[in-house]
Amino acid sequence: MRQISNEPMNSRIERLEAEAKNVRFHIVDMIYKAQSGHPGGALSATDIVTALYFDFMRIDPNNPSWKDRDRFVLSKGHACPVQYASLALKGYFPIAELDTLRKFDSILQGHPVKQKTPGIDMTTGSLGHGLSIGVGMALEGRLTQKDFFTYVLIGDGELNEGQNWEAAAAAAKFSLHNLIAIIDRNRLQMDGFTDEIMPMGSISDKFRSFGWDVLEMDGHNMLDIVLTLEKARLIQGNKPICIVAQTIKGKGVSFMENIRQWHGKAPNEQEYKQAILEIKGTEA
Amino acid sequence: MKKATKPTRKAFSERMVEYGKDHTDFVVLEADIGYSTYTHLFGKAFPSRYFNMGIAEANMVSTAAGLAADGRPVIVSSYGVFLSMRAVESMRTYVCYPNLNVKFLSSHGGVTAAIDGATHQATEDMAIVSSFPNMKVLCPADSVSAAKILDLSLETPGPVFVRLMRDPLYEIYDDSYTFKIGGSHVVRQGSDITLVTYGDMVFQSLEAASLLEEKGISVEVIDMYSIKPIDKETLLASVKKTGAVVVAENHQKKNGLGYAVPHYLAKIDCSVPFSHIGLDDTFAESGDYLQVLDAYGLSARCITKAIESTLARKKKELT
Ligand SMILES: Cc1ncc(C[n+]2csc(CCOP(=O)(O)OP(=O)(O)O)c2C)c(N)n1
Repeated sequence: MRQISNEPMNSRIERLEAEAKNVRFHIVDMIYKAQSGHPGGALSATDIVTALYFDFMRIDPNNPSWKDRDRFVLSKGHACPVQYASLALKGYFPIAELDTLRKFDSILQGHPVKQKTPGIDMTTGSLGHGLSIGVGMALEGRLTQKDFFTYVLIGDGELNEGQNWEAAAAAAKFSLHNLIAIIDRNRLQMDGFTDEIMPMGSISDKFRSFGWDVLEMDGHNMLDIVLTLEKARLIQGNKPICIVAQTIKGKGVSFMENIRQWHGKAPNEQEYKQAILEIKGTEA
Repeated sequence: MKKATKPTRKAFSERMVEYGKDHTDFVVLEADIGYSTYTHLFGKAFPSRYFNMGIAEANMVSTAAGLAADGRPVIVSSYGVFLSMRAVESMRTYVCYPNLNVKFLSSHGGVTAAIDGATHQATEDMAIVSSFPNMKVLCPADSVSAAKILDLSLETPGPVFVRLMRDPLYEIYDDSYTFKIGGSHVVRQGSDITLVTYGDMVFQSLEAASLLEEKGISVEVIDMYSIKPIDKETLLASVKKTGAVVVAENHQKKNGLGYAVPHYLAKIDCSVPFSHIGLDDTFAESGDYLQVLDAYGLSARCITKAIESTLARKKKELT
């Protein structure tokens, strides 16, 4: 059975906020050192991914293929620095490995690769596949009578891919209440704002009409994230659960926030220093 | 050779804007990577002829089929991995089968998207799209040929797939060169061996030829920019002269140009020593482009080795 955390809420939130800062630092640091990567979408997902890895997910860094572990699929694979930082800080591999991001022979590929990185449950990078993979994992959980949750983090631009909606129908058909999709609703994709490139209307209404339970949260308010994730795993329904998280692309680095150009660009030295100063409050 | 100031993807899209001024019929569909493929330039110049379809490549290509159903020329744009795989059935059954006037701007061919890793490296694209009836497949090696191939693709009826590159490489051609479906250019003359190649590998091949010249080996380099159909005449004339052939491509060996060339030569009973440079049934990985090329046996250094061993076989056959 799952334990409900008995950590006092105040210290829990403080702990997670500090951890998120750490993750943000490593995201910017590794992308700067690689001089390549996607900071915007990694920073928008940081608070959510931090809460999952440092609180919610039942995982064992010493046993990455533990059959009872909760699964995490980063469907928007380009945001992998957020996952790499979390995995390193959890102890799946040494933090020093983060310096090898995107370099030849590294365990940290440009996009997540299951067979190269301990703790990565599935390869991603081509958008729009993660939710289908999550359906498969949730079905596997049922077949093996395990009580693990499968979390899938999806970009709002990524929802343009029709395959998401094929997966949404399948998840509802099979009553996959062990599947939790989280939408990183930062309102930007690669060419511009989602409302201009491909308006998706109300994502909550769409998932609801496909037969999902839908929750909404502020993806940068740790208390709201914790309460919502808690609620999601306590819902006693037979529906898959979608959490729409309102977020800001580039969150935490003022000059990256809401700016299209920071989708897939590395900071230069000066930008790096300013970013680190903003995240840590002290110089790099 | 002059270092290129722009990648082929940019040269192609810049020419698209120029060409669009006099040719007002064609439209452009993009899948949310318009700043990377540079089609946003076309969107800026001709907003009513530019449709950003979002991250939905299959939908984009089937939409293109609808737009092209009465003959309108349509350019669709994305990365090679997504066009050749995500949208593959739309391409085959709804564009190639009805032989519609759709042109594929396919960027980041081969391992040129090296740093993004295997998920973004289009290393099977030529094999996949070359197998479709009606499809023509082109790959310019520099910005001059990229611009000319934009014209060529729109002036050729039916589906045309154009493989473009992420990084600026080297300028090979000047404006006097012309390009055609089923064409190629001998970019370096030689007498000992024929090296057939395309795209970014033209530069690696020319480098290899220079390195071998110092050893007294004379390599003829053919830029087979038309991958389907290939230029049989130029190929045969060269092979008859040299008596040995190597194909070098930034692609899986399987079903690439390195299958088309020996297949043709075998069919006409032209038997010569042959070697093939390409990915050897493996996925590549993230890293610096040149480092990845070298690690997977695609660099100039690796080509020289393959040529030397092929020449050794040629000598053996002669004795
Ligand atoms: C199938 C596919 N098409 C295109 C791309 C190129 N691409 C990478 S990220 C991206 C935009 C993603 O937008 P969104 O899902 O909103 O992610 P976020 O803004 O959170 O980074 C695109 C188009 C891709 N990786 N996969």
